Amino acid sequence: MPNSAAHETATLAFEIGTEEIPAFDLERATNQLSELVPAALDEVRIPHSETRIYSTPRRLIAIVSEVGRETEALVETFRGPSVKIAFDDEGNPTKAAMGFARGKGVEISDLERRREGDTEYVFASRQISARPSAELLPEVLRGVIEGITWPKSCHWGTTRDLFSRPVRWLVAMLGEEIIPVEFAGLTAGNATRGHRVLAPGPFTVATADDLIATVEAASVVTTAVERESIIRSGVAAIEDASGLVSVLPDKTLREVINLTEHPTVLEGTFDEAFLQVPEEIIVDAMLMHQRYFPLYHKNGKLSHHFIVVSNGDPAHAATIIEGNERVVAARLYDARFFYEADLKHPLEHYVDALDGVVFQESLGTMRDKTNRAVSLAEHVVQAADLAADVAEDALRAAYLSKADLVTNAVIEFTSVQGVMGSYYAVASGENERVARAVAEHYRPRFSGDDVPTDAVGQVVAFADKLDTICGLFAVGQVPTGKADPFALRRAALGIISILQAGLDVKLLPAIDAALSVVQQAGIDFDLAKVRESVVEFFVTRVRVLLRDEGAGADAIDAVLATNEREPMEIIKRVRALERARQSEPEQMRDLALAFARANNLRDPKLGEAYDRSLFGEPETRLANAIDEAHEAVQAALSAGNYETALGELSRLRVPVDEFFTQVMIMDENPAIRENRLKLLNSFVNVFTGVADFGLMASK
Amino acid sequence: MHHDPPTFQDVIMNLQRYWAEAGCVILQPYDNEVGAGTNAPATTLRSLGPGTWRCAYVQGCRRPTDGRYGENPNRLQFYYQFQVLIKPSPENIQEMYLASLEAIGIDVAAHDVRFVEDDWESPTLGAWGLGWEVWIDGMEVTQFTYFQQVGGFECQPTPVEIAYGLERLTMFVQGVDSIFDIVWSKGPDGKVFTYGDVYLENEREYSAYNFEVADTAFLFQEFADREVECMKTLEAGLPLPAYDSVLKCCHAFNLLDARGAISATERMAYILRVRTLAKAVCASYMEHVACAEQACDESACAEQALEGGEGDAE
Repeated sequence: MPNSAAHETATLAFEIGTEEIPAFDLERATNQLSELVPAALDEVRIPHSETRIYSTPRRLIAIVSEVGRETEALVETFRGPSVKIAFDDEGNPTKAAMGFARGKGVEISDLERRREGDTEYVFASRQISARPSAELLPEVLRGVIEGITWPKSCHWGTTRDLFSRPVRWLVAMLGEEIIPVEFAGLTAGNATRGHRVLAPGPFTVATADDLIATVEAASVVTTAVERESIIRSGVAAIEDASGLVSVLPDKTLREVINLTEHPTVLEGTFDEAFLQVPEEIIVDAMLMHQRYFPLYHKNGKLSHHFIVVSNGDPAHAATIIEGNERVVAARLYDARFFYEADLKHPLEHYVDALDGVVFQESLGTMRDKTNRAVSLAEHVVQAADLAADVAEDALRAAYLSKADLVTNAVIEFTSVQGVMGSYYAVASGENERVARAVAEHYRPRFSGDDVPTDAVGQVVAFADKLDTICGLFAVGQVPTGKADPFALRRAALGIISILQAGLDVKLLPAIDAALSVVQQAGIDFDLAKVRESVVEFFVTRVRVLLRDEGAGADAIDAVLATNEREPMEIIKRVRALERARQSEPEQMRDLALAFARANNLRDPKLGEAYDRSLFGEPETRLANAIDEAHEAVQAALSAGNYETALGELSRLRVPVDEFFTQVMIMDENPAIRENRLKLLNSFVNVFTGVADFGLMASK
Repeated sequence: MHHDPPTFQDVIMNLQRYWAEAGCVILQPYDNEVGAGTNAPATTLRSLGPGTWRCAYVQGCRRPTDGRYGENPNRLQFYYQFQVLIKPSPENIQEMYLASLEAIGIDVAAHDVRFVEDDWESPTLGAWGLGWEVWIDGMEVTQFTYFQQVGGFECQPTPVEIAYGLERLTMFVQGVDSIFDIVWSKGPDGKVFTYGDVYLENEREYSAYNFEVADTAFLFQEFADREVECMKTLEAGLPLPAYDSVLKCCHAFNLLDARGAISATERMAYILRVRTLAKAVCASYMEHVACAEQACDESACAEQALEGGEGDAE
């Protein structure tokens, strides 16, 4: 008989009170908890319904509703040996029966007999009785604390337990009952805390159902979602009142949401005179260093207003704004100081100082990298046959591209690299194209970002990225799995984007040039092996890119099977194949089937020297079509006209189909048979250099 | 009634009084060049070992590359930290810290005080910890760190370090926008000495010395000599004087850096040399000093010394 407690439930409330958890770690922990908590309860069969997670920088809370006061009782049934085996002729239990009963912890007399199919078996049933949840919960909840994984965790005091930051209080209650979870020298109770200054507490919680209300009454906004909505509406109110527009970059916003327990959105200003400093530095100073949101005029120009999200008492907003304004002023004073100090020398002056910045241990300094990028840019401008003035600007920009890394402004405000170089380039009398290339050579910085505007910027970006890839591959710093510390995958995709944007160079010779520059710089490596892996690295990127735009893996494989490795050529061919497949699906499928069939039958050893005198009509028609197609395909390929080549090939479909339906290839006469196989060889060879159609036959 | 905000020296004295009452030993500044209050032996070495330790002190810090000839109102090549180190870290240390701000006249409830993630790592000391920078209305005024490792050794129990930037903090409480305008003292006759009165000339001269004058050949030689001296001192089983040589090496390195005399490739090598010395000193300290503290199992200490000594010397 189940006792009444089996059906009794209560809310479970569990709070881990901490010192401030880093914003992004908090985000991850919140996500983990929503799985850890129900899984931990399930594990010990404590019945429960929904779990809700709340989090602020100083606490993680799980509220689980309808948690059973007892675990679920369980009857487990096991099938043992058949009755025939379990009992001897006299009806006495055999060793098999005794072993089974002992194994399941039951008496022989408790074994039941039941028929299953044609056989009667013995069964053992075991009852796992219900246990009070409160007995199990301390260990379960301690397991939850320990189950959270952190990017970094620490010890504190004398405890050897680990958590993101020190844990200072624990609340654990099932209904009104305290669950004494122990962790790091603390024992959970029923006392929570509020906002650090607005309502520090402690506050006693009467029942688990009251925890969230108690915490919220203590000036704590308990979820990131609510804090975000408060911040967004505060920002909107300021926008409405000021006629300005804010920008809330996702990363900074997410951080700010998790830097407060009680967000108040405030508006501050700084001296308009600072707007003479390049706005990128001002924005960097505000966003990266202070987590302020800049406000812009409707025309896109930066204003001298900004938004700060405070965790303080709204009653003291004026004091808090004033303090923040002083901080911004100091930051911007620094920025202007650095900017003006940097302007005392032309940009060129800083190139030599790049010797003081390591690019990578084996590859030397940024000065070394600059030298290599310039050499590689020389190859690129020649290969692309750029006009003399464009080429000259590209080399100049490559030479200056990294110089701003040693300027004060960039050392202080790292996100403005490139942009500052461009300001300094203009100030030093470099032409606009060079200056723009210095700013833009980091592009594309992410998927979907613009490529550099013109050929000058594209050459510099291409040379910089390709040197990075080839250099790092040469010294064995190849990306593995998730580890890609130099963002080589992004660099490779960037190069492909630049090629797609129209920079007219072949990648493979550029890779050779880049590797040879690395070699000349005195770095020792296995050229053939590294080249191979760089090329395959690009091919993999191309494959991913084509798959992302919807190309079939079979079409990609078909093109790669021709040993084509030039990314733009692969892309062009795969796209043409896919277009053809879309506009004439049947034709392409038949052609692929015919190719596959021919490819299976053919015997390359026999060669292509068939004897026309042995041909019947279908064979002659096919042979004629092959001759025509061969010439036309070769001409189209050498003109780079892949679609024409495909069109020419597709004209083989009718004659080859006729050939297969009307001709019995495996003729008894070996001479005729071989002659026909030679014809098939020649059919297959027409496709060489276009695509391996056989790989597309199954679709 | 209107109260003058505390002077620079009031801030120092109030902090000293506060932490003295909290049970700390109030030390005087260490008499050797250090780059941060952390580097004084009262923090670096005393973080190690099983014993309880509580101290607080003002420490003048030298950062030669930060010199701006006294022309920048926010930067100095010599500045002061107020350093607190408590081992093991107390349960209510954040509240104690906030109360220390009240002690220097900051009404914490009337401001936005925030603990913003900022983990600390010292490659030269082979040390790291987790913690925050503390912001008051957006201004960073303190570093707050739970030390996890020093010299490659686990800190066990865990010390907490609180490092106040005294100039920043005083600028905040006095509401001034230039370090040099900080009121350092105010006499009964109203005579004021500002930070500029005390240190502006110092900044000018030392910036020139650090960037333009310091003799690099001499400094390279000093580094090498001190390296040898450090190892000799360690052979004699004297980690405390050996640690002075580590600090001398650090300072010589920082000056060479300011002089632009160390290339990027050499830079890492010098840092490694300093770290090797620092780790050796910490190992010696563990062996000779920390293990002499009561309640320490000698064999466990010796084992840790061995492991730490061989630790992550990349």
